[in-house]
Amino acid sequence: MNGRFTPSEEPAVSDELALSVRNLSTVYETGYSLVHAVRDVSFDLRATERLGIVGESGSGKSALALSILGLIEPPGRVLEGGIMLAGRDISKLSDRQLGAVRGKEIALVLQDPSSALDPVKTIGSQIVEALAAHEPGMRRAAGRRRAAELLREVEISQAERRLDDYPHQYSGGMRQRVAIAIAIANNPNVLIADEPTTALDVTTQAQVLALLDRLVDEHRTAVILITHNLGIVSDFCDSVAVMYAGRFVESSGVDHIFTAPTHPYSEALLKCVPNPERLAEGPLPAITGFPPDLSKLPSGCSFAPRCPVGRDIARCHEQTPLPHLVRGPAGEASVECHFAEQRIAEVRV
Amino acid sequence: MGRVIAFRVLGSIGAVFGATILAFVIMRVLPGNPARLILGPLATQHAVTALNHQIGLDRPLYVQYWRYISDFFQGNWGYSYSDGESVRKLIGERAPATIELAVFSFVIAMLAAVSLALLSTYRHRPITDRIVRGASYLGFGTPPFFLALLLLIVFFSTLHILPGPDGRLGVQATPPPAVTRMYTIDALLAGQLGTFWQALEHLILPSLALGISSFSFLVRLLRANLLEVSREPFITVARGKGLRRWTAFRRHALPNAFLPTLTAGGLVLGEFLAGSVLIERIFNWPGVGSLVFDAIVKQDYAIVQTFILLSAVMFVLVNLAVDLLYAVIDPRVRIPTVATA
Repeated sequence: MNGRFTPSEEPAVSDELALSVRNLSTVYETGYSLVHAVRDVSFDLRATERLGIVGESGSGKSALALSILGLIEPPGRVLEGGIMLAGRDISKLSDRQLGAVRGKEIALVLQDPSSALDPVKTIGSQIVEALAAHEPGMRRAAGRRRAAELLREVEISQAERRLDDYPHQYSGGMRQRVAIAIAIANNPNVLIADEPTTALDVTTQAQVLALLDRLVDEHRTAVILITHNLGIVSDFCDSVAVMYAGRFVESSGVDHIFTAPTHPYSEALLKCVPNPERLAEGPLPAITGFPPDLSKLPSGCSFAPRCPVGRDIARCHEQTPLPHLVRGPAGEASVECHFAEQRIAEVRV
Repeated sequence: MGRVIAFRVLGSIGAVFGATILAFVIMRVLPGNPARLILGPLATQHAVTALNHQIGLDRPLYVQYWRYISDFFQGNWGYSYSDGESVRKLIGERAPATIELAVFSFVIAMLAAVSLALLSTYRHRPITDRIVRGASYLGFGTPPFFLALLLLIVFFSTLHILPGPDGRLGVQATPPPAVTRMYTIDALLAGQLGTFWQALEHLILPSLALGISSFSFLVRLLRANLLEVSREPFITVARGKGLRRWTAFRRHALPNAFLPTLTAGGLVLGEFLAGSVLIERIFNWPGVGSLVFDAIVKQDYAIVQTFILLSAVMFVLVNLAVDLLYAVIDPRVRIPTVATA
């Protein structure tokens, strides 16, 4: 599943690879169970590309983000996989070597702004820390000046004065702006944003997203945006990967997923997005059943027990589908479904 | 900030006030007449009435209470019934021994708790963690006096590497010149290294016995706090900046995990300073605890009542100090939340 397909009308994305992940698998091992959080995930991220990763809670999205950064803590462990960052494999680096990469070449924004900042340290010191981590011996005044610049860049007014504030003196939206300022402090090539707007109210969400949009555009940063909100994906991303039970079950350009979702799970996800027309038709459909227990994965296709297509088909329960490359009306996609060709053909008719 | 401090101080005054009322009421409802107690069973009723009048027991209760607390806060703690010595002088003589033991024990318990909690959480080694937790259970379940005897049997009777229950110094040793009357400090001030060493040796076993249960409590608390804080997203963010594991842990996990421990530390220190009657008894430690033990045996109420009130006041003061320290080091207490969108 190596294909990352750029829609033809999107020439902004260059061919240069910012990040390339191959066969990444991560497990959480407790005394009682082995949880497969990420299973054999591969993808490419081009410079300035914006990839959205969507999926339900517990589908392994956050574990994937932490695995890429080498920040999986015990009892979790990356089983295998290659992570090429600008052509260099960082998956085998020591923690010290990775420290030089994290925050410098690849940075992270987390979901909950209320817990992403240390409550007993000033905002300024936490931004300066991000700068100083990659520039030892930086002078205090220089650090402060650059921290204030960063605060201005994320549109916080009276930046100099607000450097000395503590996180509890900031609102949720402002804290998330600070988190973004920390992430872009060293102008990384790749930014991983794990549900960056989920914990915010709708108005603030739009503002933070607009800010992120402007910043990654200006800095020419490639982004992996993890979300469960397909609306955000359609606004913000160039390409999308649908994650289910630790796997990328469908990946394509954004247009494909919204016009011809091929994997039954993608289709079901899309049907769950509320919009005015559909609300008029009655209650929102929900995907029946529950996401599988990642420590007791079913054999065959993980979605089979909930799948409207394959629920009663023996092959779906026995044989794990390989990625199928298909071409739909809005571009190519890689789909892990036995019926991918058949389904895309139905769409085209 | 000012409001916070004012609140804490007012609260402490209230607590001390409550303690004085409690101590006063308990003394009044206890059976027996102090005058009779002082004069003995053979004294005439006339003499008892006269003494009652002299010490004010025939006055209204509020007058008695007022005299009681004004005397207490002026340091007029009365005289020991058994040897006529001023209670203030008796307690003053014994206090340094108790304070020295309390502080030493507190430092040991705290250091041990911090290092073991770090050991059991930092590297995610389940075996280390299990050993530390097991040790803390042992400390919880072992009564201090039992541990004291055990320590004496092992380190004194069997191994002969630490001194036995002979007080603060060896029998023939002379105390160092009195400055603070804490022997370790005074010995160092006087440059008497031999005496310092001896004082230190004598401190070890009673400190361990006194500190064990508090250590267990602190290590469990600190371990739980560290575990919780090390899972906080801000630790991941700090690591994501490129900080080394230990740097992120030291700068962000430790301070946040330490804050709640401060309160517990205050409680523990307060408890230690109030003295341990049992431990001092076992080690023949000439502290306030031993004094109170003897006073109880001799029904020397003047000493006991002063001690009760004094330990209440000290407990409140230590906790007030902790609260004020909080206000200084925790920005969430120091600076109110300003809602700005």
